[in-house]
Amino acid sequence: MTSVLLSVTDLCAGYGPIRALRGLTFQVAERETVAIVGANGAGKTTLMRALSGIIPLSDGEASFLGRNIRGTSSHHLARAGMLHVPEGRGTLQTMSVEDNLRLAWEIRPTAVTFGEALEKAYGRFPRLRERRAQAAGNLSGGEQQMLAVARALVNRPRLLLLDEPSMGLSPRMTGEVFLSLAELRDDGVAILLVEQNVRRALQLAQRALVLSHGVFAASGPSDELSRDPAIVASYLGQSHDAPPDNKRHIANDPRR
Amino acid sequence: MLVGLLINGLVSGALYALVAVGFTLVIGVLDKLNFAHPEVLMIGGFVAVVASGLPPYYAFIAAFATGGLLGLVVEFAAFRRFTDADAKITAGLASMAVGLVLTDLTQKVFGTESVSLPIGGGWLSRRFQIAGVEFLNVQIVIVLATAILTGGLHVLLQRTRVGRQIRAVAESPVSASLLGVNVLRVSQAVFFVSSALAAEAGLLLALRSGAASSDIGLTFGLKALAIMAIGGLGDLRGAMLGGLVIGVLEAFMFHLGLGRLSELTVWLAMIVTLMVRPRGLFSSGTHGLEQRA
Repeated sequence: MTSVLLSVTDLCAGYGPIRALRGLTFQVAERETVAIVGANGAGKTTLMRALSGIIPLSDGEASFLGRNIRGTSSHHLARAGMLHVPEGRGTLQTMSVEDNLRLAWEIRPTAVTFGEALEKAYGRFPRLRERRAQAAGNLSGGEQQMLAVARALVNRPRLLLLDEPSMGLSPRMTGEVFLSLAELRDDGVAILLVEQNVRRALQLAQRALVLSHGVFAASGPSDELSRDPAIVASYLGQSHDAPPDNKRHIANDPRR
Repeated sequence: MLVGLLINGLVSGALYALVAVGFTLVIGVLDKLNFAHPEVLMIGGFVAVVASGLPPYYAFIAAFATGGLLGLVVEFAAFRRFTDADAKITAGLASMAVGLVLTDLTQKVFGTESVSLPIGGGWLSRRFQIAGVEFLNVQIVIVLATAILTGGLHVLLQRTRVGRQIRAVAESPVSASLLGVNVLRVSQAVFFVSSALAAEAGLLLALRSGAASSDIGLTFGLKALAIMAIGGLGDLRGAMLGGLVIGVLEAFMFHLGLGRLSELTVWLAMIVTLMVRPRGLFSSGTHGLEQRA
């Protein structure tokens, strides 16, 4: 029997009088990967921000490892093992690659030493080793996303909240990032993923929830959802992964 | 003669720099202007008075601790509650009020006249010569102390866990807290360090002039504010360099017989610098904490 990491009941949240989220209920268990998919503006980012305590819940309850999210500040949630990689990746641009990783390790020192954790992260992303002394702001978008994932590798969160990891990346880089996310998942890190690239998200996650206008429109195991005609029509009709030829040049990132 | 002037200027400049670095640290990390900062400098001078019977390093430790604790008080009284973007002005005013309270309390205890230090005639005011240039021991002490304190700040920011957290908050409080950084603790650390540096500067200033006075905040301390603006808001290099340059400029202006007018040096320099470079000499304009100290 697996224990519940994140439990959300009738969650409502939004900015000011606008209720972007209207009564969401779901759970994420240990070692589970859950995707929340939906169109732009469906409230996906708002949900992530509410879960990690950046914006307050206007109604409902949410708890992480038994801690009520309402009364817990962001940094306490992070120290308890909830690592939120926000949209735009949240890497610290003026700090070096290695300082970014060290910061993530120091906040939540795991059994392994920083050196070992660092070796593991660099082993997975050799490009980061090459750029270890550079400011994160000088990395390409793909490298920054690698850094965000590498940070999760050294931080070893109980639950990784990922907001649009594919944003701004070439299809090839997206593939690489999702590959490393799959490794994290197979290592036993629970992942709650918000993603516009529905095909990728369904491939990674065991289970998905479809968010539409602030409520869940559908939910179920990923393989079922990816066969659901309504889902296929709304979200999988146009593949994000097989770009038409006129987009090919994006894949040829000059830094690669 | 010229070398002597230069040394005098650099010694003043080092003290300006110490205060300006503290000002700029709070701006660079927290984007807040602490008007109580000059009064913490002033209190540092009275630490010299109180600790005058003790071995000098006690006075240095006492000034560091007193300044740091006052920094925590200022953070709590004037800044903690005002976190909204539009509450910055309120926070600035509150810190000014705290500063005025500090001045009044000091005057209540020590009077409004400046209090001379009994150690004025001791080891610190002895002279020695190197290659025909005359130095005072106190000048060496000031330069060394400034180098140690700013060097220590550099190491703190670049090499320690707290320093990494401070730099993270300087860049983005939200990103930092998502990584588990307690922004309030970082904020307190920044106020502690910044104010401790100001109090040390006050102590050194009192040792140099042989007296502590309660109006030093408004004269010497406010100049550091202008120096920070010259260097660029939030830029540690700018504050250091600005302090040294202004110190030397002022010494030469004084030497040219401009007397009280030389007090205007820093203000004129600020106006001219900001007319040419509105963001100061170094700042990127984001109030970001620049890396070198």
